[in-house]
Amino acid sequence: MSSITFLCSKTNNNNNNNNINDVSSTKGKGIAASSVFPTAALLTTTTTLQQQQPQQQQQEQAQQQQQQARLGQLHGNLKKLNATTATAKSNCHSHIDDRSDVTEPLYVDPFVELSSGGGGAGSELNCCPASPTTVPAKSSLESPMRRSGRRQRTTSIGNQTTTANPSECIIRSNNRTIYTAGRPPWYNCAGQQVEPFVIGICGGSASGKTTVAEKIIESLDVPWVTLLSMDCFYKILNEKQHEQAIINEYNFDHPDAFDIDLLIDVLTKLKEGRKVEVPVYNFVTHGRESQTKTMYGANVIIFEGILTFHSPEVLKLLDMKIFVDTDPDIRLARRLKRDISQRGRDLKGVLKQYLNMVKPSYANYIAPTMAHADIIVPRGGENKVAIALIVQHVHTQLQLRGFKLRETLANSYKDQPMPDSLHLLHPTPQIKGLHTFIRCKNTSRDEFIFYSKRLIRLVIEYALSLFPFKTTCVETPQGVLYEGKRMESRKICGVSILRAGETMEQAVCDVCKDIRIGKILIQTNLKTGEPELYYLRLPKDIKDYKVILMDATVATGAAAMMAIRVLLDHDVPEENIILASLLMAEIGVHSIAYAFPKVKIVTSALDPEINSKFYVIPGIGNFGDRYFGTEPSDEY
Amino acid sequence: MCTGGSPSSNGSQAGDNTESEQQQPSATEQQQQQEQVPRTAVEASTPEQILAEYGENLKILTLNSQVSELLTIIRDKNTTRSDFKFYADRLIRLVIEESLNQLPYTDCDVETPTGAIYEGLKYRSGNCGVSIIRSGEAMEQGLRDCCRSIRIGKILVESDANTHEARVVYARFPDDIGSRQVLLMYPIMSTGNTVLQAVNVLREHGVPEKCIILSNLFCTPIAARTVVNAFPKMKILTSELHPVAPNHFGQKYFDVL
Repeated sequence: MSSITFLCSKTNNNNNNNNINDVSSTKGKGIAASSVFPTAALLTTTTTLQQQQPQQQQQEQAQQQQQQARLGQLHGNLKKLNATTATAKSNCHSHIDDRSDVTEPLYVDPFVELSSGGGGAGSELNCCPASPTTVPAKSSLESPMRRSGRRQRTTSIGNQTTTANPSECIIRSNNRTIYTAGRPPWYNCAGQQVEPFVIGICGGSASGKTTVAEKIIESLDVPWVTLLSMDCFYKILNEKQHEQAIINEYNFDHPDAFDIDLLIDVLTKLKEGRKVEVPVYNFVTHGRESQTKTMYGANVIIFEGILTFHSPEVLKLLDMKIFVDTDPDIRLARRLKRDISQRGRDLKGVLKQYLNMVKPSYANYIAPTMAHADIIVPRGGENKVAIALIVQHVHTQLQLRGFKLRETLANSYKDQPMPDSLHLLHPTPQIKGLHTFIRCKNTSRDEFIFYSKRLIRLVIEYALSLFPFKTTCVETPQGVLYEGKRMESRKICGVSILRAGETMEQAVCDVCKDIRIGKILIQTNLKTGEPELYYLRLPKDIKDYKVILMDATVATGAAAMMAIRVLLDHDVPEENIILASLLMAEIGVHSIAYAFPKVKIVTSALDPEINSKFYVIPGIGNFGDRYFGTEPSDEY
Repeated sequence: MCTGGSPSSNGSQAGDNTESEQQQPSATEQQQQQEQVPRTAVEASTPEQILAEYGENLKILTLNSQVSELLTIIRDKNTTRSDFKFYADRLIRLVIEESLNQLPYTDCDVETPTGAIYEGLKYRSGNCGVSIIRSGEAMEQGLRDCCRSIRIGKILVESDANTHEARVVYARFPDDIGSRQVLLMYPIMSTGNTVLQAVNVLREHGVPEKCIILSNLFCTPIAARTVVNAFPKMKILTSELHPVAPNHFGQKYFDVL
């Protein structure tokens, strides 16, 4: 009883300062420590409350317009009814504060619900998720497109990473704004994938798993973290189960409620670095939304849920296993608050579910898996020491996995014959003449743009000829049949590596009507010299396309390899990729051909070496800077 | 009565179907017969044979699959005008780029922004284009896209519909055309008569034969022979040697008869 009162008073304390005055003094006196609830008494309380409700309702609606205020009033009622002094426990205070910050659109007047009773008549509450488990409600973890109502993204970057701010790569935390770096290489110099680090977080319902995950993400301070919730993998309910769910009799806490096979499939693919489509579970219909959430590109994957350690196969995929161990009373308190205030559920239903299913499931399925954990975090997100330790370990692990890719690339493959996958444009005087223009440091930008465009056009025309063609016969106006060729598939798309690759887009559009253009932004980290992936927009069904990957110059090939890796991760077959570029260094060609032998490499010129700054010699200089006119004034 | 084929497949079919089935093979036979002509013509045009037959000054664009596709689309009578123009422009661009390769050049070393030296080359200035009205003008834009400020002269050649005899009725060139390299643009050559007249006019204006480069898209072997015999020193660049020229080119490109 006291717990219920506490909960309501706490909410009230946050939202309605003038209604109740004795609550603010209750901070710091823990009462929730008592372990077992007097079940019968709780249920009685609820019933009494419901009987009183209709009489109170009119008067209160007249008095209070705001929903929060009503909740406060409810607290007053409760207090009158039970004549119980409320006391609060301070250490969960901050958590509840956090939660109440969230503007959940699902907020439902608790009165309406309470008066409608727990008898299964909650049909007007269909919008409320009936799930007992954590849905990340913290704004920073929500996808930006959901928050701001933007269009559905076709790619995943930025949706579920910490950078989930509408303005891409920015994290704001503790009044700091971090402009995150791009994603460093996640494959070795042979183009092979290096596995991301997978952290599993397990714990009972409302134990603070999401908070721990958030704190880890915040403290890790690395981008490219994917948060995967087990909630996405609830099974689709049939009609009977759906009805059970409405009257709180469907057990969402049982392992059978989850589609473990799908979960293993998704997690395995994520760990392989592939793009995955994660189902979006609808807690109203208890089915999956037709729209899935695309996840791609993670160096750290955090997988959280109540039964993350249940399946042995999933356990094998986890590199680090964290169990969040929070006092059951606190968990119930949070759960009550969350389900009532944020999900619009009624007290009776929540308690019924808790006692009949959540609590037994915790004892039977969740608590025993604590044995698998590497780290047990008591008190959840509060536990700063534990989180600091975890973050330190993850950093060490990430460092062990990273390596100096560009340097390795620059120093290999000397004096080897050129690979077969290289297609060099026939070196006509015209091409050489164009190169003379664009390589000369005194060429004006106007001429530079003009002549590089001509050269790009030739490169693209040549690249197109490398796609598969089929023989075909057409009728001519002259009345004879003409045997010619047509491209086997018209499904071609261009993907440019920003910024220099963008200069080649126009030529592709001039050559292929209505072609789709994807973009990948890769920039070199000036400190490490490594390429980093910042941004990615690709056609959703890019795996069905032949792809012309465009970059103006290729020196070590590090950026191009990253782009190819991205395409492969999006299930584009290697042989469907053509890398087109104006100028390449020999080592770049070797590196790419070695890592991705089926990728066709097209270029108009091949230069022998690169300098210590990884510029091609003799080269063009910084093509993007010269084309867009952004040369630093002191560079030359 | 069934005369051929497997009994199971014919048994269930109605009379109409079998009739149409019988017609189909004959239609494909016809197709195959028609195909014979172009196929042999294409096979005869390997670079070595062309060199032997027409001399080194007739050059054909490297026939990769991409170029084949362009030719196919341009020749297809079902191609829409918009597609036709789009793909014709692409082919023209390729032919012009290749024609420019025939221009004389000198070596030229330049310093790159990285400080290294690039051994490049430089074209001589003093070139000009001459288009033969009307279809030759389709190629002007392609030339402009490659050489922004090049001077372009024009020649109007009328040919008699019955005798195929051609005569020049209009010509306008830069004054100093005699000292320039001339890129003569004319996309379709079926007899070569028009080009012969045009080259004659150019020579009258003092342009040496060896300074003329003819840019052409479609050429018949007859025309090639005629032109090469008449002007052996003139360079000719085309994308295809084929006995049937797509004479509808100008019409379809400008969409005016």
